[in-house]
Amino acid sequence: MNANTPAKVLSLNNVEVVYDHVSLAIKGVSIDVPEGGMVALLGANGAGKSTTLKSISGLLIAERGEVRRGELQFLGRSIGALSPQERVRLGIAHVLEGRRVFEHLTPDENLIAASAVRGRHDTSRNKERVYSYFPRLHERRTVASGYLSGGEQQMLAIGRALMTQPKLLMLDEPSLGLAPFLVAEIFQIISRINKEEGLSVLLVEQNAVAALEIVSHGYLIESGRIVMHDTAETLKKNPDIREFYLGGAKAKSFHDIKHYSRRKRWLT
Amino acid sequence: MDWALLAESAVNGGLVGLMYSLVAMGIVLIYKSSSVPNLAQGAMTMLGAYVVLAFANNAKAPIWLAIILAIVTMFGVGMAIERVALRRLAGRPIIMILMMTLGLEILLRAGSMTIWGGTGRPMPIGISDDPLFLGPLLINRTYAVGAAVAVAMFALFVLFFRTRMGVVLRAISDDYTAAWSVGISVERGVALSWAMSAVVATIAGVLWASVQGVDQSLAQLLLKGVTVAVLGGLDSIGGALLAGILLGIVEGVAASFLDPLLGGASRDLVDAAMLILTIMVRPHGLFGRHDIERI
Amino acid sequence: MLFRQAGIFHTNYAADRALFPISADRWMIGILLLCALAAPLLVNSLYVSSYLLPWLVWTAGALGLNLILGWAGQFHLGYAAVMGIGAYATVHATRAGIPWEIAIVLGGATASIIGIGFAFAALRVKGLYLALSTLALQFVMDWVISHVPAISGGTQATLQAPDIRLLGWPVTSDAGLYYVALIWCVMVTSFMLNLRRTALGRALIAVREKDFAAAVIGVNSFYFKLVAFSTSSFIGGVTGAILIGTFYHAVTPEQFSVDVSIQALAMVIVGGLGSIIGSYFGAAFILLMPGAMNTFISWAATQFGFSFSIETLAHLPQALYGALIIAFLLIEPLGLGKIYSNIRDYLLVWPFGYVKK
Repeated sequence: MNANTPAKVLSLNNVEVVYDHVSLAIKGVSIDVPEGGMVALLGANGAGKSTTLKSISGLLIAERGEVRRGELQFLGRSIGALSPQERVRLGIAHVLEGRRVFEHLTPDENLIAASAVRGRHDTSRNKERVYSYFPRLHERRTVASGYLSGGEQQMLAIGRALMTQPKLLMLDEPSLGLAPFLVAEIFQIISRINKEEGLSVLLVEQNAVAALEIVSHGYLIESGRIVMHDTAETLKKNPDIREFYLGGAKAKSFHDIKHYSRRKRWLT
Repeated sequence: MDWALLAESAVNGGLVGLMYSLVAMGIVLIYKSSSVPNLAQGAMTMLGAYVVLAFANNAKAPIWLAIILAIVTMFGVGMAIERVALRRLAGRPIIMILMMTLGLEILLRAGSMTIWGGTGRPMPIGISDDPLFLGPLLINRTYAVGAAVAVAMFALFVLFFRTRMGVVLRAISDDYTAAWSVGISVERGVALSWAMSAVVATIAGVLWASVQGVDQSLAQLLLKGVTVAVLGGLDSIGGALLAGILLGIVEGVAASFLDPLLGGASRDLVDAAMLILTIMVRPHGLFGRHDIERI
Repeated sequence: MLFRQAGIFHTNYAADRALFPISADRWMIGILLLCALAAPLLVNSLYVSSYLLPWLVWTAGALGLNLILGWAGQFHLGYAAVMGIGAYATVHATRAGIPWEIAIVLGGATASIIGIGFAFAALRVKGLYLALSTLALQFVMDWVISHVPAISGGTQATLQAPDIRLLGWPVTSDAGLYYVALIWCVMVTSFMLNLRRTALGRALIAVREKDFAAAVIGVNSFYFKLVAFSTSSFIGGVTGAILIGTFYHAVTPEQFSVDVSIQALAMVIVGGLGSIIGSYFGAAFILLMPGAMNTFISWAATQFGFSFSIETLAHLPQALYGALIIAFLLIEPLGLGKIYSNIRDYLLVWPFGYVKK
């Protein structure tokens, strides 16, 4: 959209995902994540946010989905045919929705398990780095992760992703089920990681208020299509976004809601 | 009541039970790293014993070399089973997976019969038949060796599950998708668990074959293995060890009581009863994870 | 060509809920039934008694197992034991002088009552654990049958079955026995076909898909699991009795061992879970395969100059049988029934391919 776009870490071009050979989940999705940038992908339940992330990390195979059309490029390289672990090795880390820590393992073991694609000597250094971002994990490193609190589990999930030494960190609803102050804390850590390590971040969120505070750009996805793309500042001012995702506008009659879909601009 | 006889059948029963644990450990290994219940473990045990004999008799290798060669071969067989049969079934309903392991059971059992024939053959591994004397008790030497091997394997696996690779396998059993998301090669982990389980099956096969000879009945160790594995908790190696001892003692003592009453062969009945009781009363076994009840 | 449809256009509910909404299907069923009735006249009696008859009986058995496995979604690794209970109960009842017609119902009822024992396992556990506990129950049944002389019939463990008498008429001819099997198979098939259209059938499917979800919409999953197990056990028990009465003529414990349970399971899996026509295909496939294999192997042996030992010949069909189960699970997990319905779907509107959804 801008003339002088910085180098892209990730670019999706016209991606279409189909589950089980029949059900179309996303269609014509195009997303760019600039190097060292932070981009949010916003949308309601079932809009196709998680599917988009899974198409990038290759986890669609676990759910019998496939990318039927379009191109996925990571650092200028097409990754469509790679297995999930090859993508992780290239530097794509996906923090799954709902945390999904290895419950019967301790945080320490979680981090060790997550360094399967990296060498043994990297592991201890990475572990120290993770513990420096999340000191609370260090305190609780010998407890079974299933017993950690929701916030701690989310930290562990992010830490686990950092163990793979990613160049792109994709977070699927890190705010899910967390208290607002924890959301703030986690988002603050994410943007710290982004600044200190130059790590690009693709953030999927329903919590648009929190997400738009820390990202530079945002995409809005609805019913499997990208319907809006702009800088975070502009998005925050957009009346439709304010009304439907930020909850800022005053109450309206449902009669007027219809006009939103008329005004909506299909990007593809 | 003859207390010495009772004690003897209890001790020997415990030792036999540890040999059951060897079969159960193979089942637990696979379940622990992929949540697949392997009903082909008995057939794998039998195949292992036949492969040892094939190396010893046909290739004229000394028995220790034959065992090592068989272990290497079975490692490959385990990998191959995962690659060919199970990889494509990941994520399918459990009935398909169960049926697949049943199909494997039939294929491996009948396949070995096809190649090597059904007549029983001895497995001479050089353990003498003379009993060991432990005070007033007579103890079968092979059982004692088998029990020692079982304990050694247990120690080995407990150590293994603390290594990096072991942690990775445990992670896989916790959550396939999350394991994929951090770059763990789930397929390779599961293949490794099948391979290790095939190795354990070979060792169990050799020991059991030296007790009862090499024939089709080795495959029937499956019932014992499943009972021990479920009683111990399907994902607990230590549970398999303790449950083995427990089942062995119960079986030994019960058999010495019940056999005269019921006209022999009450061991299988005791096994089946233990299995049903365990599932009805405590499905997750002695040490299993509680959540495994919901599949 | 065959079906001459260009889509399905029902104009009222009765047409939509008909058993066979397409007239070509009705024609085919009719012709098949006529062929089945005329079979003893058309086909050599050896084929009738050694292929057609066991096929029909086993199809009924596979349908009964399919009820519990494919419809209610509950594992059953001990189906042969249930069939055995029915068979033994019937044989003992007829030997005690009870007419055969009543004896098979008694046999079915006995199987049904003991089958509910399996159901109680199903109420407590699911999935893998249910499979293992039914397997254990199979072992217990095997043991009881072979170790209690009053049941197994003494040291030889073989019990002669009295000849079947229907309404006082002895049925001994091959054709007569075949008709008994045919009637039973048709009865079970029409029961299963109609089950799909009843509240019971829908409730069973709800329980299969998610039993607690079914429970929260008011389907008493406890009750329906019980019904499913007892109905399927009844079918199994009667099938076992008919298998003995028409085919084996004597009953031994090995006829209902754990291997037979697996064989029945294989019929359902190969045929297709929940598929009625699949049960026919599956039973035929599993029954005919060993014979076909043997023929093929001996043909191949003479053709290519192999020579197999007797032991190899005895076990090779079994090994191939295992391999086929694996192949089916890998290639078409929904079995022959699915392959049939794919072909049928294609032919249904042929040559008007474009009317397909």
